[in-house]
Amino acid sequence: MMADEERIIICGEEGIVAARQLARTIAREHGFSLVDQSRIATAVSELARNVVRYATNGQGDATIRTLGQDRGTGIEVVVHDDGPGIPDISLALKDGFTSGSGLGMGLPGTRRLMDDFVIESSADAGTTVTIRKWRR
Amino acid sequence: MARVPVVRFGRILVATVQEDLYDRDALQLQADLAGALERTGAHGVLIDLSTVEMVDSFLGRLIGEIAAVSRLMGAHTVVAGIQPAVALTLVELGLSLPGVQTALNADKGHVLLRQLVNEDWFGRNGTHDG
Amino acid sequence: MTQPATKAQTPASVDAQTALVAQQRQTITELETPVIQVWPGVLALPLVGTIDTMRAQEMNEALLERIVATGSEIVLLDITGVPVVDTAVARHLLETVTAGRLLGAEVMIVGLSAKTAMTIVHLGLDLGGITTRVSMAKGLELAFHRLGLEVVPRREHDARAITADGSGI
Repeated sequence: MMADEERIIICGEEGIVAARQLARTIAREHGFSLVDQSRIATAVSELARNVVRYATNGQGDATIRTLGQDRGTGIEVVVHDDGPGIPDISLALKDGFTSGSGLGMGLPGTRRLMDDFVIESSADAGTTVTIRKWRR
Repeated sequence: MARVPVVRFGRILVATVQEDLYDRDALQLQADLAGALERTGAHGVLIDLSTVEMVDSFLGRLIGEIAAVSRLMGAHTVVAGIQPAVALTLVELGLSLPGVQTALNADKGHVLLRQLVNEDWFGRNGTHDG
Repeated sequence: MTQPATKAQTPASVDAQTALVAQQRQTITELETPVIQVWPGVLALPLVGTIDTMRAQEMNEALLERIVATGSEIVLLDITGVPVVDTAVARHLLETVTAGRLLGAEVMIVGLSAKTAMTIVHLGLDLGGITTRVSMAKGLELAFHRLGLEVVPRREHDARAITADGSGI
């Protein structure tokens, strides 16, 4: 299984842009379509913004890996912060908690954009969101 | 910081977004447009997104807000040039940009704005060549 | 670890096979989502069969590309061939309408049968503001109107102006 990995610190607004641009660049270099590049960049932007908004000191990091296995080429982004965690994950994942209202963390939308979406969050371990997109 | 310039073309304000915007640049654009509308009394706002490759929920909502603010200040807002990849992503995010008029490109955006402003003045049957 | 192939395949033949499958997939997509330009500025997209998420995505992608390529501002999405319109299908249709709108095109849904219309109302689905018509013809009529055009019968004396070889005007 081939894997390239890049890690970027998310700190402040600049981190949101840096993380999504890096994710997009890697997606483009690995042959993802324009639409998928947009989906990936947008998903990373949503997750990185959550870090800046809700994590302690607005700090966290993103690790971007390319995956190559039976499913073909894939990209994985793991966004992590050591913040206070999400008190009610099921509420945060509830559809309709994003659209239009400006509330919420954009998680349902992010999940719709990706093929795989895993979230772990607690007061002790912070929040880790893993997303994957596979090239068709 | 990449400030989006707001240019005046007659009674229309044009903002051409050319780069990946930081959140604060987007907020600055909102303030700049509102300020320009107050100063000039312009009737239309054209936001050109032809070279924008990513619009996330923050920017998407902000665009909606710009349209709402512009409307309160007597101006129509047209967003032009949303790329297919961006449109598909917005739809999947669950954002439809309600209250925002759209056009395929800047040229059509100008035509649409003229139409909308004409309708304000002359009603739906006002002459236009479409 | 992949299983060894049951018959020996050279790397070249695997590549050729993958390319062929990709090519066929592309053809299927194009056949499934034929976007037709019926008039300058008017696209028609007849749907046949069920619409799932993947098909909807491919259809939207193809449609948006054609909107950009032709600069069309009206799309007639014909659902005559869609057997069932339930909540999921309605959501996909709404997404297509939204996607087109973001590119400045009005997507009208045509081919709504009485049965479909009643189903939609009974399900309480809100097609909020989408323009709909019972047939492609009705949709075309509206499209022409939007474009400031009208289809009228030719005047009587024109019908008599047939040339000597009978070929007409």
